[in-house]
Amino acid sequence: MGESWFRREFLTPRRLAFNVIFYGLHFFFFGYGWYSQATNQRLAGLNSLKFSVWASRGAGLVLAFDGGLILIPMFRNIIRFVRPKLTWLFPADENIWFHRQVAYSMAFWAMVHTTAHYVNFINVERTQIRKQTALQIHYTQPGGITGHFMLLIMVLMYTTAHHKVRAQCFEVFWYTHHLAFFFMIGLYTHATGCFVRDSVDPDYISSFPFYSTQHCLGYLSWRFIIWPGIIYFGERMWREYRARRTTRLSKVLVHPSGAMELRIIKPSFKYTAGQWLFVQIPEISRFQWHPFTITSAPEDPYVSVHIRQVGDWTQALGDRLGVGPSVVANMTSAALKGAEKEEKSGMTRGDFVELDPAIASITLPAVRIDGPYGAPAEDVFKVEVAVLIGAGIGVTPFASILKHIWYMQRKGRLGTLRRVEFFWVCRDAPSFGWFQSLLQEVEAAQADPNFLRINIYLTQKISEDMLWNIAVNDAGAEYDPLTLLRTRTMFGRPDWMTIFGQMKQAIETGQYLPGSKSQLKTKVGTYFCGPGALAKSIKEATLANSGSTIDFTFAKEHF
Amino acid sequence: MGNLIWHEYARLVSITASVYAVWSAFFGLFYRKFFWDFVGGTLRDPGGIEPSPNAAVFITLIVKVPVIQMLSMALGMFMIAMEFPIPPLKKLAIHRSLVVRIVLLLFQTFLTILYYQGTNAAIWSLIAAVSYGRAEMLKEKMAVAKENKGRGGRA
Repeated sequence: MGESWFRREFLTPRRLAFNVIFYGLHFFFFGYGWYSQATNQRLAGLNSLKFSVWASRGAGLVLAFDGGLILIPMFRNIIRFVRPKLTWLFPADENIWFHRQVAYSMAFWAMVHTTAHYVNFINVERTQIRKQTALQIHYTQPGGITGHFMLLIMVLMYTTAHHKVRAQCFEVFWYTHHLAFFFMIGLYTHATGCFVRDSVDPDYISSFPFYSTQHCLGYLSWRFIIWPGIIYFGERMWREYRARRTTRLSKVLVHPSGAMELRIIKPSFKYTAGQWLFVQIPEISRFQWHPFTITSAPEDPYVSVHIRQVGDWTQALGDRLGVGPSVVANMTSAALKGAEKEEKSGMTRGDFVELDPAIASITLPAVRIDGPYGAPAEDVFKVEVAVLIGAGIGVTPFASILKHIWYMQRKGRLGTLRRVEFFWVCRDAPSFGWFQSLLQEVEAAQADPNFLRINIYLTQKISEDMLWNIAVNDAGAEYDPLTLLRTRTMFGRPDWMTIFGQMKQAIETGQYLPGSKSQLKTKVGTYFCGPGALAKSIKEATLANSGSTIDFTFAKEHF
Repeated sequence: MGNLIWHEYARLVSITASVYAVWSAFFGLFYRKFFWDFVGGTLRDPGGIEPSPNAAVFITLIVKVPVIQMLSMALGMFMIAMEFPIPPLKKLAIHRSLVVRIVLLLFQTFLTILYYQGTNAAIWSLIAAVSYGRAEMLKEKMAVAKENKGRGGRA
């Protein structure tokens, strides 16, 4: 954490704008709610409770606003649709971040609102402006009951959404977060008790919404904030419907490195390179949806995902297909030793075992997919130079993108794209054997040696044996001994400042893109997928090297 | 994936409940009310519920002098100190005891259920205690804080 909190929140123009607008709106709603309660002559009775009632009404209006906002970042399909048009305005890929900001704000204002109401109700009881006790309001009236339930639901949802819990047991988070359904019901019906009224008793009527707005003088905010709820519900229904459309698992390929490649055929599924989807295998779990990056290009006749057996769900899938963790563990360790053993075992790293129901005596499980969902790497064809950086498992979206670029190259439809720099930073390259075979294919197909440049950085500590092995085998060999690519593997962490600096120099002097005039602005898009700390240093490097002639942009993918 | 570590989850609930307990106790100092005063109480206009004489001891401890509120505030603060934990507690092995936490959380439930503002704190503390109980049943062990590692008996 190099930069200070102040610098991050206030000295970054975009963040500053967000903070001013977001928190400004919150305080505006609080002030308006407070003011309109305090000055309403018809509510003079309630106003005798003074500050507490003003604060509770103000905070109530803010909470209604938050309740309307909280679902908006979760409109996955709508966001996917509007994202390309609105990236200039707001980072639509940061939807989960926004969801969290709303949730934090909601927790704070819920505290204000609840505290104020605890004061309100005790004063109602003491002054008897209504002939009720505090506990009657708390536990027998709709406002109180829904309020306490919403607080309880919030405790459960917030605690299980902690990143530690999500990492330990995603299911707990996933199922608990569906309490949101009851939370939203509670939110929309919170005011049905007609607490804010100018009459002695609640003025209930027999038709919807079952209280008369003649005497019930709440903000009626549910009329506005129910729409995101309805849209979200509709979206979930649409996703369910879409997931049920014909989907067939056609093939499973098991790569020697242990990754399983599922090839799925779903004619109704349209996507672009770099997107991801949810996979459900009802036989393993009826409700769980697991996100995976699509590794096939849109031109491929199938949709493929590469799955490594790391969690219990993926291991169960491996078991179901007869290539359980133990089988794969052997294969993985074999692949890790791969470099030397290769010739003897007679199996190169690009080979795979195909599980085809037509040949082997296994059946493939039914599968359902939901998606696709967006990722910034869709925009590669709009820049002149694309810098693709994948770190570790974050390299998966680039499989699809590189394949897609390859297809487009063959068709001669590259758009403005002139060059691609691909960086792959990983600890142990051999465990991504399947990706290497893909890279081999793409590299071999290159006619122009300058179009695609592959840079592989291995950050793992290497043993002395391995060092000698590399030293002996690498010299003069046509292919890199580790990755079997023509590109040499580099060791250690890449120095992004230097890399981008050199690229800038090369572009400015016209060496990098022959024919491009230096006075024209060159757009270099950087697409990164991987851990946050690395993202930060790359972003700094892109910002530091942007100038009048070169525009480095940065986009990060989220999982 | 797939394995919820209960004591880590319970810690989050416990922190939430304890913060609520402190906040509710703070307001309980200014608006003093015995939660159970409706049992046998009579409603006066104005003045609210007049508790039954049987509850005199609670009225003394909550309304006349806010002892219960102060106790639960202190306990809540101690729980927060223990859950984070603050450096002096980090040195003691006792801060990793799940049983101590269960007992303290049950105390917290008992204290906060007595006064008007503390109901939710009581319910949440109970949830935290049950979660810790689950952790204890599963024989979970709390890991030694990083700074203490390798210090054996002195930690």
